Order: sequence, then C-alpha cells, then structure tokens
Amino acid sequence: MEAVLKNVAGTAELLAVASLSGEVERWEEPTVSRAFQWARYCEHLCRRFHDNPAIRRVIEKQLRVTNHGLRAAFAGYGDVSFSDLYRCQHLLLVGLLKNPQLPISVMKILFDAEQSEYQEVTGYCSRIIQCKSACKVLSPLADSSAVGADAEVQAEMLMERLGALLSRGGEARHILDSVPQGFEGAAGHFCVVIAAALLMKKNSSQDFLLDWLQKEQSVLEQMCSSLPSALIIELTKKQPKFRDAFCDLLKKWASDMEYSLSEGEWIQTRRNPTVSFDRLTEHFLGLFETCPSVRVDVEEELNALKMSDGDFDVRGLSVWGDLLSAFNKSV
Amino acid sequence: MSQPQPLLQLPQTAERAPSAGELRFWLDKAVCWGQADGPDARKDASLHLSRLKDFLQQVLTHINNMSSTAETVKRLPLLGQFLGRLCWNPYVTADATGRRLLLQCLWGLYSEHPGNAVERTANQWIRKVLCQLATEEDDAQALMKKMDIPPKDYHLEVLRKMVALLQKSIGKSCSCLGDTNQRCACDNILATSEACVPLVTCPEAAPLISALLQQQVTCVRAALSEDFLDAVSSAYSSRCLSLEEQAVVSLWCHNLPSLEEAVLRLLDCALTYSGPIPQKQLEQSLLPKACAQHCSIFLVVNDIFRSILKQADGTECVKYFVGAFTGCFLREVALQQHQTSVSLKAMFPQSPQSLLLPLLTRPTEMPQQAWRRHLIWLSSSLQRLTEEEEDGDDNSSRSGRFHTVFEAWFLLVQCSHWVQVAVQLLVTSEPEDCAPLLWLLTFYHHPTNRGHHRALQLVRGKEAWDHLHSLFSVLDPPLPIDLLQSLVTLLSPQPQPPPLSPLLTLNLFVNFAVFLQQSLSASTEIVQMVLDRCGLVDGARWVLSSLQIRMNQGDCLSSDTERVHLRIRALQNTLTHMHVASSPAKE
Repeated sequence: MEAVLKNVAGTAELLAVASLSGEVERWEEPTVSRAFQWARYCEHLCRRFHDNPAIRRVIEKQLRVTNHGLRAAFAGYGDVSFSDLYRCQHLLLVGLLKNPQLPISVMKILFDAEQSEYQEVTGYCSRIIQCKSACKVLSPLADSSAVGADAEVQAEMLMERLGALLSRGGEARHILDSVPQGFEGAAGHFCVVIAAALLMKKNSSQDFLLDWLQKEQSVLEQMCSSLPSALIIELTKKQPKFRDAFCDLLKKWASDMEYSLSEGEWIQTRRNPTVSFDRLTEHFLGLFETCPSVRVDVEEELNALKMSDGDFDVRGLSVWGDLLSAFNKSV
Repeated sequence: MSQPQPLLQLPQTAERAPSAGELRFWLDKAVCWGQADGPDARKDASLHLSRLKDFLQQVLTHINNMSSTAETVKRLPLLGQFLGRLCWNPYVTADATGRRLLLQCLWGLYSEHPGNAVERTANQWIRKVLCQLATEEDDAQALMKKMDIPPKDYHLEVLRKMVALLQKSIGKSCSCLGDTNQRCACDNILATSEACVPLVTCPEAAPLISALLQQQVTCVRAALSEDFLDAVSSAYSSRCLSLEEQAVVSLWCHNLPSLEEAVLRLLDCALTYSGPIPQKQLEQSLLPKACAQHCSIFLVVNDIFRSILKQADGTECVKYFVGAFTGCFLREVALQQHQTSVSLKAMFPQSPQSLLLPLLTRPTEMPQQAWRRHLIWLSSSLQRLTEEEEDGDDNSSRSGRFHTVFEAWFLLVQCSHWVQVAVQLLVTSEPEDCAPLLWLLTFYHHPTNRGHHRALQLVRGKEAWDHLHSLFSVLDPPLPIDLLQSLVTLLSPQPQPPPLSPLLTLNLFVNFAVFLQQSLSASTEIVQMVLDRCGLVDGARWVLSSLQIRMNQGDCLSSDTERVHLRIRALQNTLTHMHVASSPAKE
C-alpha cells in the first residue's frame, strides 16, 4: 500500500510538472513515454480499487496532502482528485500540450503520422485525431436510429456503469445527479442519451433510471420539451412507466396554463421553456395513437376536471374543456 | 447555406508554387464544407479530397522552400486561415495522407527562433490548434467524464459501434425490387463507400470496408464508388489495410486494376525468388483461389500471362511460373467441391478443345505405362497443328492458324507437367523412340518456327540426347573428352542465337543425372565436369529444385521415389559446393 500511495503522489507531481513547469523543456521521447506509462498505471489503479471504498479513501487522503504541497510549489495548480485519475493520460496530454515550454520536437513525436502500434507515444495524438475524425465522417450515415450512434454508445456505457454499481449495492444516483444541468447543450444531449438508454434492449438499470426520472421532474420536462415527437412516441411505446410519467407531465403542463385574452390562446406563464397549447394537444394525440387505452382514461379524467371547472363549453374558461374539444376535432 | 462550387480545372504540377488564386479557391471550398452539413457538401468534400491533397503537397513544398514563416505569410496571407479550416474538416484529418500533409504544413510554419510578432503569433496559434485537435471535448464527453471513462477509449468505442451499425445496415437485403421510385436500403451503399475513402487506413474501419466489398450486388443502386475502390486497392497493396480473403477477392472482381496489380506483383515475386516459386507463396497470394471462385478472374489472369509471354518471348522463369500457377489453380478448383461447376471449356475458351482434357489430365491420373503413348499422341496432335499453320497459303486465315498454334503452346505451358514427363521419359528411351518426345520438348522451348530452324533444332536435340546417352553410359573412367566438349558447346551461351535453347539441353542433362540407373558418384562426376566448363550451375540448381517440388506433389512418378529424392539432394549438395568454390573466379 505504501508503494501505491507513493506512486499516486508521484503521478500527481508528474502531472503538475508536465503542465506547469519549465522542466519539460528537457523532455525527450523516452521521458514522455515513461510519463505516459505512469499515467496508465494510475488509471489501472483506479479501476482496480474502484469498488474498494476503504482504499479509495486512503488514496484520496494522500492526494489531499500532495495537492496541498503542489499548490504551494506551483502557481495556478489545480487539484487532482481520485476520479480525475481515471483519465490520467488525458490530463497528462492536456497539460503537456498547453505548456508553452514543451519542445516542439516532443509535439512532433506525439503527432507523428508514422504510427506504430508498439510505441505508445509516437503518433498518440495522431491516432486520437484519426479516431475522432472517422466518427465525424461516419456519423451522418449511422443516423439510422433517431438518437445517433454516439448517443447509443454513451447510453450503453451509462447502463453498464449503473448496472455495475447497482449489482454491488452501491450508490448510483450520483452519476445521474451530477450531470451539469445549467449548460444548455450538455443537458439537451443528456436527454438524448437517456432516451437512447430507455430504448435499448431491456435491462435492469432501466428501472432505476425511470425511477430517477420520475423524481427528477426537471430532466423529464426537458426531455419532453426538447426531444422530437417521434422519439417520445417510441419511448412511450417501449416503456410503460415512461408513458405514465409523460401523461402525468402533460396534465401538469395543462394545469399550469392560463388563458390570455390578448392572444386568444392558452399559454404557460411560469415555465421555461414553454409549451404551446397546440403542442400539448399534439403530444396528447400522439400518445393516444400509440396507446388507445390511455385515451379512454385521460378523457374520463379531463371530463371530471372540466366538470369541476363548471362544465362550460365556452372556449377559454377551462383548459380541460378546450383540450377535449381539440381532441374531438381531430377525430 | 451556400452551394458547393463546381469543379475547377487546375494544372497538376507539384513543383510550381501555389498561387493566391488557387489558395482562394480552396479556402472558399473549405469554408463551404465547414458551414454546410448536408449530403451535397459531404459528397463535394469527398470528390475533391485527392485534388486537395495534391494542393497541400504543393503548399508544403512551397513552405519548405521559403526561408521564413514571415515571408511565407507575406506571400500567401490566407494560408493560416486555410490550414486552420482544414484542421476541422474530418475528411482531411481522417485520411492518413491528408492528416500528415496538414500537420507537416503546420510544422513548416513553426519557427524555432521566432524573429518577429508574426512568427510568434504563428507559433502560439499552431500550439493552440494542435492542443484543441487532440484534446477538445464536447457535450458528449462531459457526460463521459462523469462516468470516469477516458476520452481515448470513448472515441474508440463510438467508432467501433458506428462501424458495427453500418455493417448491419449493409447486410440488409435489397427491398426495392427494381422500382426506382421506392427508397431502397442500397441507397446508402454508395454514400457509405464514399465516406470510407479517407478511412482506408483506419484499422477500425476495416470490417466495414470488407462488408462493403462483399455485399451482394443485387440492386442497381448498390454501387461502390470508384474512388473507394482505388483507395482500397492502393491501401491494400501498400499493406496499410488488412482485408479478409473474401473481401480481397471481391475487390478484384470490382476493380480490374487491383487485380492486374496483384498478378504483376506475384509475378515479380516469382522472378526475384532465388528458385522456383514455392507453392505456399502462390497460395498465399489468394489469386489461385480467386480464379477458382470466379472464372472471369481466371480469364483476366490468363490474358495477362499471354501478353507477358508474347513480349518476353517466354523466359524460362515466366513459363515455369505459368505452369505452377495453373497447377495451383486446378488444385483449388478440385477443392471447391463445385457449388457452381464450371466447364473446362469456360475456363479455357481459347484453347484447342481437342487438347484440353489430354493436357489437363495430370500424369498421376493415369497409369505410368500409358504415359509414353499419351505423349506421342500429344506430340503428333501439336505437330499437326503447326504443320497446318505453316502450310497455309491464304494470308487471312494464316493469322487465325497462328493464333491456334499460340493457344496450343500456351496450354502446353500451363500444363508443363507433361513436358517434364517427356524429359524424364527421354532419359530411359531407346534412340528410335526419342523423336516425338524431342519434338514436344523443342516445341515447348521454341514455339515459333522462325527462320525455319525447327528441323535444325530437332537435329541438335537428337545430338544432345546421343551425347548424354553415351556420356552417362560410360562405365569406366576416364570420360571421353570430345563427348564432354560437344555437350558443353551445346550448353554454353553462343554469340548468335543458337538453334537450340541451352536450357532444353540443361534440363535434359539434369534429368539424365537424376533418373538414370547409374552410380551416384559417376553421375556426380559428370555433372561437375560439365558444369565446371559451361558455368550453368544456377540453372542446374533451378531444375533440381523444380524436380524436387514435382516429387513432393507426387507428379513425377518413379518406382523409387526415395532413391530419386536422395539423388536430387546429393546433386544439390554438390552444386552448392561448386558454386561456393567457383563464385570468386566467375564473378
């Protein structure tokens, strides 16, 4: 264990030196190769002690100590955590490439076009670029599914990760909770990934995901407002729990609507993003098409609500009544 | 969204410096590809890829010729913008050559010792772009970060998944039944093949490329792009791409130049090999198997053989190669178990039909006692053919008959096992039985009766046989010098083209040494003495090796296989020592 801690501390120092110090000026191919070997070793350590909270805590403690020292030694130092070590090679690479003191000869080796499989460092970046570009070239063609291949891969990885955690009886929420919800792009993408995960072949993690979704109404709402209707319909067809949650959400949206006399239309005032009345109607109708049994239940419910609103047949008084008439119009 | 511009005709020299106009053209293209993302823009990028790479080579040469970055930028101010945009074009960066040229251009612009602000800025920009290219993360990767998955593994996984998805969609059978209005699963195939052009050197894409090559061509729309076939062909031949066997065969079916190249490469290999080409190498080339699976491939390969034989006037190596190849092919055909049984006529459409079965039958397929009769029949049939050609008065039909003679000779070359049997039988023949066998042998080496030398050649052949027969019958030493000398004369290179090919005599000579029931030491002595004087050690070695190969294949029947093997090996040993001893003097 002593040795492991020493190596982890050493690797953290290595990362700091790589990104922040002028030492790299003297680095050559063998040095860089060794550095990447250390980074790989750390990644391996992480995966090994993934399931061992006791050891993980000890390593984290060591990292805290090391971080403290490195903060003092290097201006602009950013702390390294245990989970950072999973992508140690990437951190090393970023650090090196951003370091203005890195000799251009080292960069050339990393980007060398003459790759050989036996040398880890030569052409390391070239290989990454090749891979990323190949994905970009192929992705327009691989869009046979509505979610896209990269979302499918991520969904698979997510389900695998969840499944592994759940089977060990561990806490899985944190993965889902920690996705940044503030950034538009990331959140929108996350919705696509969740959709892909729910459309996958049936597996145990999907239930967990659905339960989580029901508790995290904001994510569910984001999904239902940003995803294309066809995709939502697919989801309702495949996952009954999702269908129910979706239905409940639609009703909730309806209840938040107010009639605007100036616009002559029902609008949502307190939500963001907003859903229009027409869209809401579309959603309902789409739902009915795929699940006719739902229609009966929903109409019954809406009728009851309409009656509690006074049972008027005039437009603009009860959102439930207007919805019902919209349904009937399209029959 | 701007429309892609039409193709501009540009001159092709890589030596010339790129003009500002050309740079502007390509920059506009790059901007266009970056902005638009529809199938038209993608197709345009794919179509222009190879011309763009030529242009990049020009740019690179130009950058390297300039003395400083500042000067380069002054001459071509848009260069930075151009290279920058190309960095984000996946077609350029996925392609091995494109990526290499682009990076080399960037390195070319980097100044070790920047002397002014322009150069310092350029250096910073280059570092930044490279860092971004290798490490930039998008939304998807933010999620992966949460799951503790390193970016490199993630990208690799996505790529593999995409390849698998596309492979599946290609496997789907065609559903359009010829109705051009309906959408068909095959529409995707052309687009996918175009997209794979920059990916031919990407190992993860190899399964997809194999699948594309092997998909059943049932639909008119399931076409593969020509650029794709060319790119796959050159990547495969330069060993940057590994394909499954069936994919290679499909490639040859689709793309004639790649087949031709494979044949010529195999031939080259055979000619540079230090002995007769081993069967294993023939098999590894996959060509015999491909020929067995697709008759059309065999016909093309034979056409290539024909033209080579006509040009080179049939050197011994090429003739041997054709025979060995055809033998390998026939073995593959036998292995095929015939789901589709192709007739002999379909495989050898131009050969004289009456000779087909007799020549294609292997010696092992008939009793040894029948060989002589068989060869006599073959010899007289061929003789008749050549006489018909020579007797023709009518000019127009003459060329037709010449063609027949050539085809008959070509078939003989393909089935050279019978020629070797003839040589072997000559060793144990009586003088009065030699004539038809000698004729066959002479015909093999001299198919055309140019200058009407054949009569003389036959005489010389008989002389050679007589000399050999006498020489090897000598029971007591010393060996008669005059006999030796006559033989050596026949074997030695002559200033004028000799009437009889020395190789014929050499072949006969070695066969005498191997098959005659004479003591090994006596034979060895004769061999040594003769070769000492005429120097054809390598040629003799060659004949011994080819005899050995035939023995191993069971073609060369001898009641005493073990003894023959021993003799061959002993003679080979002798020759090896001879060669070592004589090489300083000879060279």
